[in-house]
Amino acid sequence: MKEKATIASPGRRDFFRKAGLGVGLVGVAAATGGRAEAAEVAGEKAGENAGGYRKTEHVKRFYASARF
Amino acid sequence: MAAGADVSRDIAEEETLRAEVYRLLGWLLRGPPDAAGLARVAGLGGDDGELGRGIAALAAAARTVTPEKVNEEYHALFIGVPRGEIMPYGSYYLTGFVYERPLADLRSDMGRLGIARADDVHEPEDHIAALCEMMAGLIVGTFGAPADLAAQRRFFDAHIGPWAERFFADLEAAPSAAFYMPVGAIGKAFMRIEAQAFAMAA
Repeated sequence: MKEKATIASPGRRDFFRKAGLGVGLVGVAAATGGRAEAAEVAGEKAGENAGGYRKTEHVKRFYASARF
Repeated sequence: MAAGADVSRDIAEEETLRAEVYRLLGWLLRGPPDAAGLARVAGLGGDDGELGRGIAALAAAARTVTPEKVNEEYHALFIGVPRGEIMPYGSYYLTGFVYERPLADLRSDMGRLGIARADDVHEPEDHIAALCEMMAGLIVGTFGAPADLAAQRRFFDAHIGPWAERFFADLEAAPSAAFYMPVGAIGKAFMRIEAQAFAMAA
């Protein structure tokens, strides 16, 4: 069974917070106007310069929705 | 992992924030934001560090730039005729040419990770916007289970680390960069943060 994606070690957490990835970082999730799978609709914004991606068929059943 | 499982509980807050920064960068680099997008960017805020100052500068820029201007700027920077001021492709930064070995290596890894380019996309996958989106997806589990740190690091070290900080520095200094100048500053600061954090190991 796959273990947790990341182990939130105190050192790593503190480093990120000191670097600015903490409570002071406001509005980032909402700025793109969508959720994690926003890349699938990115093409409609950029037109000919789009470089989006999608899941391959066999992993779609494992699709996970992000909370942002 | 069961289909539809909510992985957010398994992902630490700071890791989600990393993904959100990658997603922000990917969104801004994929194309110029429209008026609604600029309004959302105007609401961003950061702390007093290098990353936070870049975020604040971007929000300030978003409050004064017009959609028309940012569209022109994006085209001058990245599209141009015959090319923009900046070539945002890994192959270009690593070999001097687009569609080179770095792209082939990326496609190989994408295949293993279950990431595929959308059918209507014509840009090579080693475009910085696509790579940012891929990192965000690996962190939160868009392509399957969330990638563990070792897998994220392998992807970062192979496809982003070797060139992205230089790209963002070039973007920050590009002649046409105004709104995209703080995008460069944010990306540069964030790439350094990512590299340092990966070097710290688990």
